Amino acid sequence: MITFERFKLANGLTVLFHKDVTTPLAVVNTLYDVGARDETEDKTGFAHLFEHLMFGGSVNIPDFDAPLQMAGGESNAFTSNDITNYYNVLPAKNLETALWLESDRMLSLAFTEKSLEVQRNVVIEEFKQRYLNQPYGDVWLELRPLSYRVHPYKWATIGKEIKHIEDARMEDVKAFFRKHYNPSNAILCIAGNFEMNFVKETVEKWYGEIPAGIKPARVLIAEPEQTEFRERIIERAVPTDAFYYAFNMPERRHEGFYMCDVLSDALGRDKSSRLYVSLKKEQKLTTEIGAYILGSMDNGLLVISGKLNEGVTFEMLDKALWKELDILKEHPITDGELARLMIKIRTAKEFQEQGLLNRAMNLCLFELLGDANGINEEHAIYNAIHPSHLQETALRYLHPSNCSLLKVKATPHAE
Amino acid sequence: MLNRTLSPDLKEIDKIDFVKPSIFDITNDVKLYFMKEVPNDTARLDLYFDAGTIKGEHGIASFVNGLLLSGTNSKTSTQINTEIDALGGFFESGISNENSVITIYSLRENLLPILHILKDAIQNLVFHEHEVEELRNDRKQKFKVSMEKVSFIAQRGFQQRLFNQSIYGRVTSESDFDAISTDALKHFFEENYLHGLTKVVVVGNLPQGEIDALIDTLGTWATTTKTPFEKDIFNLKGLTHIVKDGAVQSAIRVGRMLFNKTHEDYNDFLILNTIFGDYFGSRLMSNIREDKGYTYGIGTMVAELHETGYFLIATEVGKDVKDATLKEIKFEMERLHTELVSMEELNLVKNYMLGQLLKSADGPYSMTDLFMSVEPYGLNLDFYNASIDSINRITPERIQLLAKKYLNWSDLTIVSAG
Repeated sequence: MITFERFKLANGLTVLFHKDVTTPLAVVNTLYDVGARDETEDKTGFAHLFEHLMFGGSVNIPDFDAPLQMAGGESNAFTSNDITNYYNVLPAKNLETALWLESDRMLSLAFTEKSLEVQRNVVIEEFKQRYLNQPYGDVWLELRPLSYRVHPYKWATIGKEIKHIEDARMEDVKAFFRKHYNPSNAILCIAGNFEMNFVKETVEKWYGEIPAGIKPARVLIAEPEQTEFRERIIERAVPTDAFYYAFNMPERRHEGFYMCDVLSDALGRDKSSRLYVSLKKEQKLTTEIGAYILGSMDNGLLVISGKLNEGVTFEMLDKALWKELDILKEHPITDGELARLMIKIRTAKEFQEQGLLNRAMNLCLFELLGDANGINEEHAIYNAIHPSHLQETALRYLHPSNCSLLKVKATPHAE
Repeated sequence: MLNRTLSPDLKEIDKIDFVKPSIFDITNDVKLYFMKEVPNDTARLDLYFDAGTIKGEHGIASFVNGLLLSGTNSKTSTQINTEIDALGGFFESGISNENSVITIYSLRENLLPILHILKDAIQNLVFHEHEVEELRNDRKQKFKVSMEKVSFIAQRGFQQRLFNQSIYGRVTSESDFDAISTDALKHFFEENYLHGLTKVVVVGNLPQGEIDALIDTLGTWATTTKTPFEKDIFNLKGLTHIVKDGAVQSAIRVGRMLFNKTHEDYNDFLILNTIFGDYFGSRLMSNIREDKGYTYGIGTMVAELHETGYFLIATEVGKDVKDATLKEIKFEMERLHTELVSMEELNLVKNYMLGQLLKSADGPYSMTDLFMSVEPYGLNLDFYNASIDSINRITPERIQLLAKKYLNWSDLTIVSAG
């Protein structure tokens, strides 16, 4: 059970407080309800570029990191297709320094040309390092637009292409800030050994004066239901053929989300999972295989991916894979298999919740989903899952017309 | 009206509570370290074996490490994995130069049952031919993928030149995978696992009876020999570039042999290391990322071996700015010789390092890891009090002296790939 209290400031900022008396540290986590899905198609990669700019100084404080380091703390952030999340970990007695810094960058940024220019370059290098200069690194740049035709999930958080980042202008940056970075679009979580009164007073002191702004309405075009199988083959100078089967699955709040999560575990989480055992160990078709879900807020993807063994064709793999999926559709999984999946989920969750930072981040995420207490309710949702639910879910989602397949064909190197 | 330009008052970290795990004898030389104070149901078990990469040629150590759960005469690898999964266990095995480490994460009530599965799987491991061939095949493919990454190529080249003629400088080549016989695997395994356990670490709120049972179960694997470790290793100085066609970035590795925690300059050097490249506001990050935008990240570290250690700078940069980056690294290194660090910068680094130490000591898992990182050197938690002393006492002059002594461009091994 993760306990928390919640209050709201007049300007619309939602604040969560999680008390932990065992730690000398504090976490200040700020989730902004903005991600790559809020970008327009001709200016992608912007939410992420903006995250970098948030460290380039705010209206009253020239440098974000130095004062935090001076207080013994450190900070980082990440952007996804759904959210942008900023966190600070520091000695609890210096909590106020983090609130001072975070509240000032919520108030307004410094918007210097130098910062924009440098961070454009840094992000371009990040693009190269993670997506272009790695074998199979560009797979998601190809798979997303294959799975999504209209929804903004069709581009990756880093952006569709480097040019969009190169083209980012200061006026875009300012407009983005005004639209998305205001108290009513944020959830703040403070975790550590504090008293609620102190937290309330201190948050009010630093955040109370920030103008409310308007929570931007999110109107996204829903992805129309896929009606036929999609396939794309790309050729790359990689050592081995690789495959990515992406199935559409329900949004984060839907109970089907949890079913798909468990299904993906059954298929390919561990070395006892079905695809690992059948396709890799027994049939020796692959050298690697796994299954997982993306965890998106809107309709997401369940992905089965791996690499082909030498001498194995995509067709051989395809036949064997669908056969395994059919077994899952025809026969409910046993209680023993389900129990095995559940104990792994429970164990993983216990370890995740060990960390103060994880707890603070997850509280914010569940609050965004509707109620921070969702963090304590997940266990019951998983426990209520019955083999017949999983069979129905497999029937509903794991069929060819709900699937996009990306094949990476290995080509010899250009000498 | 709130003055937002002023930082709130800062409070210093005056003390950090370091908590030592309890220590039990498995034999005279092999100990079990037990951290019981865990406020939840999680538990972790680490088994250390004297079976690191320096113990054999052609990557045999890593090969054996990958086959530990590959099956016995009565159970297949899938059966073993399924049994561990059914208890919610997460099994990991990893390898370094000097150690092979097996780790189990689980709920505390499942730790001992999982250990019994593990014990049987390892005690009766048979190296089935099909499992050996499967791993050989997987490893070959992984190696080919790795050789497409400039970071891997540079690191590999760096290791060879840094460790020079020493056995630490062994790297895997494609031909290695076919050079290992099953007999060699069995021999390595018997010698370094069945008689190679060097220590055990348990974190979790387990009853004493279970700790006693752990000691009983693992006792037969305790090592009776002591491996001597090399001390005098001299890095090959100078610059090497490894060409990788088609790369859009170059990976850079720069470093030298140095020392480990037992050296008198270690704690002070760590402060110099932080200033130079080991935090977000470091000299290298400020210059090469935040001013020039050449990279997504650049960092330095001090890595340790049993009898020695080394210093490393690592980054990946745009291929057209590789030389410019090396020039800036050299510039920043030499600036530490010629300019004294300002009190403002030094104070920031001191506070930052104290905050990091506080974080490293937070919670039973971190605290245990902190202890285990001094234990191999015959040190105890006093080491961290000495670190705090060192942080409180260091001066700009001392930083400069250490930079002149240990950070000279002509002493360095420099490898780039791209």
